[in-house]
Amino acid sequence: MKIFIVIPAYNEEEKISETLKKLSQIKYPIVVIDDGSKDRTWEYITKYKIISLKHKINLGKGSALKTGCEAAFKMGADAVILMDSDGQHDPADIHKFTRALKDDRAEIVFGLREYGTDVPLIRFLGNKIASVVISLLFGIYISDILCGFRALSRKAYEKVHWDSKGYGVETEMIVRTAKNKLSYSQIPIQALYHDKTKGVTLLDAFHILFDVLKWRINL
Amino acid sequence: MIFGFQLIAIVFALIMLYFAFLHYQRKEINGMEIVSWWIIWIVTIIIVIFPGLLKDFAGVFSITRVFDLMVIGGFIFVIFLTYKSYIKAKILEKKIEELVRKESLKDIKDAKKK
Repeated sequence: MKIFIVIPAYNEEEKISETLKKLSQIKYPIVVIDDGSKDRTWEYITKYKIISLKHKINLGKGSALKTGCEAAFKMGADAVILMDSDGQHDPADIHKFTRALKDDRAEIVFGLREYGTDVPLIRFLGNKIASVVISLLFGIYISDILCGFRALSRKAYEKVHWDSKGYGVETEMIVRTAKNKLSYSQIPIQALYHDKTKGVTLLDAFHILFDVLKWRINL
Repeated sequence: MIFGFQLIAIVFALIMLYFAFLHYQRKEINGMEIVSWWIIWIVTIIIVIFPGLLKDFAGVFSITRVFDLMVIGGFIFVIFLTYKSYIKAKILEKKIEELVRKESLKDIKDAKKK
């Protein structure tokens, strides 16, 4: 099974080099998408022997992931592992995803972050509430809705092909997994929580909630 | 007799007629659009000068005051325009996304074509 790692990045000059250094031991091809960064993210990305793509303007995480996945599948990938560029995810967990894809035959594998106490309480609670709401509306319970560390097969990508351009992508993937009755699994992963200010904000959460209601009606 | 507020409304409508003409001259709107906007503003001027014209019309919808009819009509029109703008913005957003992503993927070689 040919697996590619896909990493969207936006204004990550502080963390991207560290993230890519940690991944240098990984044998899978890596696709990094610079989503219109205004800092030196692109400059740092191009120093590594990886497949680097660039959006001329910032479109959002969902669009960046679509570009990365399409590039990977165009180059012959059978599955992709999605990771965040902020160093939150440990490359040592990658083998868990590949095992789940190959041995467990899961079409989609969701990472479940094992949190320490440095996670803001509101984010932790928000995530849990979101899991319950999604479970009630769509009949699928994913413990960690917003974890960006996940894997999907080519077939799964074609089915969950999301519309979300921004942070709603993670939630939409779950909703479409349920709608398409895809086989999935959840695996525990390590999480290193660096940045309390980046990522999904309260405003993003409201947008996602609105999208969830929209998907309930439309999908 | 035309009252102060009516005068302000008429002057405003005349200014909007002029703006519509300017936009037409700059080819920012086409002939159909300028005719539509001119009709709207001319009708507005007529209604402002002769509000009694709409009294019977308001009665058809069980609305007592002409002012209420104009407010409701204005709201409906604004909602319509907001909806149109929303649709155009969505279409534009989708086109921009497709263009930017296509541009970034242009150098990726299709493995199946090798």
